Amino acid sequence: MKKFEWMILGLLILLLIIGIISIYTASSSRIGDDFLFANYYIKQFIWIIISMLILLLLLKAPIAIIEISIFPIYIITILLLILVLFLPEIKGSHRWISLGLINFQPSELAKLFTIMVISKLISKPFLSDGQILLRSFIFTLVPVFLILLEPDLGTASIFFVILFSILLVSDLPKFYLILIISPILSIIFSFSIWIFIAYVLLLIYLLHRSNLDKVIIGFVISINTFIFFITPIFWNSLKDYQQNRILTFISPMRDPFGAGYQIIQSKIAIGSGGIFGKGFLMGTQKNMNFLPEHHTDFIFSVIGEEFGFFGCAFILLIYFLFLYKIAKSIIKIKRKEYRYVSVGILAYITFQIFINIGMNLGIVPTTGIPLPFLSYGGSNLLINVTAIGFILKYLNERSIFA
Amino acid sequence: MYKKFTISDYTGYVIAFIFFILLFFVFKLQIIESEKYKNIAEKNIVRIQTIYPTRGEIYDRKYRPIALNKPSYNLYITPGKIVDKEKVSEFVSSNFNKEIDEIKKIIHENRYRSYQDILLIQNIPFEKMVKTSEQFNYYPSFLFKAEKVREYYSANHFTGYTGRITEEEYRELRGKGYSINSNLGKTGLEKYYENILRGENGQQVLQVDASGNNLEFFKHNLQTDPRNGDDLILTIDNDLQEYVSLIFPKNKKGSVVVMDIKTGGILAYVSKPDFDPNLFTGGISAGQWNELITNPNRPMLDRIIHGTYPPGSVYKPIMASLGLEENEIDSKTKLAKCDGGMWFGNRYFKCWLKEGHERLAVEDAMKYSCDVYFYDLSTRFSLEQLNRYTKQNYLSTRTGIDLPGERRGFFPSRKWYIDNYGKYVGILGHKVNLAIGQGEVLVTPLQICAYYSAIGNDGIWKQPHLLDKRIEAENTYKNIVDEKHLPMSKETLKLIQNSLYITVNEKYGTGTAASIGGIRVYGKTGSAENHMGKKTHSWFSGYAKCDKFEIGFDIFVENGGHGGSVSAPVARKLINYYYGIME
Repeated sequence: MKKFEWMILGLLILLLIIGIISIYTASSSRIGDDFLFANYYIKQFIWIIISMLILLLLLKAPIAIIEISIFPIYIITILLLILVLFLPEIKGSHRWISLGLINFQPSELAKLFTIMVISKLISKPFLSDGQILLRSFIFTLVPVFLILLEPDLGTASIFFVILFSILLVSDLPKFYLILIISPILSIIFSFSIWIFIAYVLLLIYLLHRSNLDKVIIGFVISINTFIFFITPIFWNSLKDYQQNRILTFISPMRDPFGAGYQIIQSKIAIGSGGIFGKGFLMGTQKNMNFLPEHHTDFIFSVIGEEFGFFGCAFILLIYFLFLYKIAKSIIKIKRKEYRYVSVGILAYITFQIFINIGMNLGIVPTTGIPLPFLSYGGSNLLINVTAIGFILKYLNERSIFA
Repeated sequence: MYKKFTISDYTGYVIAFIFFILLFFVFKLQIIESEKYKNIAEKNIVRIQTIYPTRGEIYDRKYRPIALNKPSYNLYITPGKIVDKEKVSEFVSSNFNKEIDEIKKIIHENRYRSYQDILLIQNIPFEKMVKTSEQFNYYPSFLFKAEKVREYYSANHFTGYTGRITEEEYRELRGKGYSINSNLGKTGLEKYYENILRGENGQQVLQVDASGNNLEFFKHNLQTDPRNGDDLILTIDNDLQEYVSLIFPKNKKGSVVVMDIKTGGILAYVSKPDFDPNLFTGGISAGQWNELITNPNRPMLDRIIHGTYPPGSVYKPIMASLGLEENEIDSKTKLAKCDGGMWFGNRYFKCWLKEGHERLAVEDAMKYSCDVYFYDLSTRFSLEQLNRYTKQNYLSTRTGIDLPGERRGFFPSRKWYIDNYGKYVGILGHKVNLAIGQGEVLVTPLQICAYYSAIGNDGIWKQPHLLDKRIEAENTYKNIVDEKHLPMSKETLKLIQNSLYITVNEKYGTGTAASIGGIRVYGKTGSAENHMGKKTHSWFSGYAKCDKFEIGFDIFVENGGHGGSVSAPVARKLINYYYGIME
């Protein structure tokens, strides 16, 4: 265990402790001078213990066992994603499998094992570019399709971040990535002709730098130009309510009774915390139950309210150190597959942190993505800790597979 | 070749950049704009307010009130402001006549809803409100709100009542816009038409600070109006309903249903004894509730659809029409001689008339209600035929009336007897008994009423219903119901109709107590033996036709005695009365 990364584990445990404290205060309410606590923090504590045991088990387990179980677990996960669609709705969508005391989201499991499977498949030697693209896309799109049926747009979007990050560090020439995201950017930039022209010029420059054939460049540019012209036509053909739904996703303030209201309340909670915060258990906004999800998706606003700028800055610092340390360490992983897995995990955890805190601050659209290690939620915690466990495991194995 | 660069070298910078963005926005909110948000948080001014709809009201066919909303002063409590739980509970209990444990239970259940107002007491008299609010200085957790509460205009079994949402119901229904203080339909029409009566919530965002300055977080859509519940117009006639309730034999249990045979609309729906639904609107006290449910006369039981009873002789038309349809008899066929009874194997089955009826054809057998005729007739059919035909006449199926929890009734099958009496059960003896509506067969008074109305409506069975139409804002929607056909030919129908006519209108008929000059009354009596008491259940069922109306009716008196002497006069009175008010 000489090479074991104690720093990463230490920061992880620190985050989990902060999480428990935050959930404790987020689920409290005051009557007169009495405090009442919902039992979420106890449940979370039990989940932390379970997660840690699994982490330990993972570190001790022979790597061969992990290797052979990746595909079967991926298949089981896909089956669970199909099963969950036939289960009764919980809170308006088919995301949870309810096992009495605990609710479990198969999409959490799917994230981790999609990373494992595509990393394994595209790290094989002598693959053509086409094979890499085909394999990674197929194994990502299957779970994405099923998760969109639930429907859970937020989680589905994470899969694209995962796919993109893994392809970014793979052997695939980078211009493919430009090709993949260019149509999406074209749609976004189609609202202004000048921005679009600037974007096309940049695109030509990047493709030219990649030493691509002029015909291919011309083809890509004409496709993007076509998208530029077709987007307004498509947009106008949408029904009012469809347009509204998309606009509300981009700009939640259009929906004063739903997403907009939550964001306002979250901003009021964080903003009113000021420099030092209102003190542990002393938040007033959370007590009013303005935010129904304050122990899950909006836990950052509770921290902001009670611990102020110092509290928020401290948490951001811990997260940063944690992720930065992982990023620096995984460069040293020599085996491609393990490096891809680690990058995928790092990317999705970073993405989730950004989206969740950004949502609490009102700068990104509202999606149901919890804050890794801090939000209440058993299956989410378990998967995130297990994911970090894999990184630790691979860091540990590096001497053998160097 | 393009220059190969490794992404991994940049990962650290990307992460640092992301966290810099987040830190920047945290800084902006908590340091630069902090004062603004502190102000808003203190004054607690951006919040969504739900605007609750007004519940639809219920009227009779002539738009006279049955259930309306009346203004009510309600007492609320805010758990987060409670200083002393004991004192608060005691205050409420002593002033508003409610058990102290009930108050404590409500406070306990809502202990996490610190800053919501929780409904404690409804329907407080004005003087009481003024008096108690003087003491509110000592109890900052209380407040009064002027709202609305249901008021029912008469004791009855069809409106049902509304009541406060329970903790379990709230958990299930919160997504549908119910609040912890909502009232909802618990039984009867209030429950069956809950979704129609309730309407839809409206919402409003408050974003003005204490000095009236608009905070301008949102620029559009700040209010959606609630959609009030639809009003229900019933087929009930309040006058007839009240009259029937009045003339029902005193201190007796039972029911009366009257329906329009052309539409299936119910004109009167009386089950006795009854209870006042207003007891429930303010939350019934434990004492009153106990009194209602332990009362041996069971006032809470809706005998019309929740009670099942042996039909006795009112079942006989079914047997007669089966015989005619299957050509086992015709209008002239005379069956076994009745000398007060008949032997089957070693058992003697008595006719209700000890002296006997001699040999009769079908119409006279109905008129005199001769049991022996039907004993003999039953031997020509299998039990399964009886079972099937009964169901085809909609007697052992639910009628589908617009009330919750209707019972199906029961007609035994061969399998049922074997399961319950063993392999060697003598089916014949049971079958003979079933033919006169005795034994295991059970029906609801509503099924009988629907059946006789269908005979009166020339074989077209109309689904009984209470809702005539619902009125939504400016539109009116008619309630459209099922229509089915009884399994009998025109000739059979004529014969059955005629036997019902002579039962009431010819000398020595069993139903003559119901005859009225100028109105054609058709009917059949029944006196069903039962295990509930010594006296028979008294039935009289049929229909009446004149130039003004065509109505079907069923009168049922539990352990009332003979159908002809107890129930038939009730029918006569109500038909007479209805004729009078139709002018």
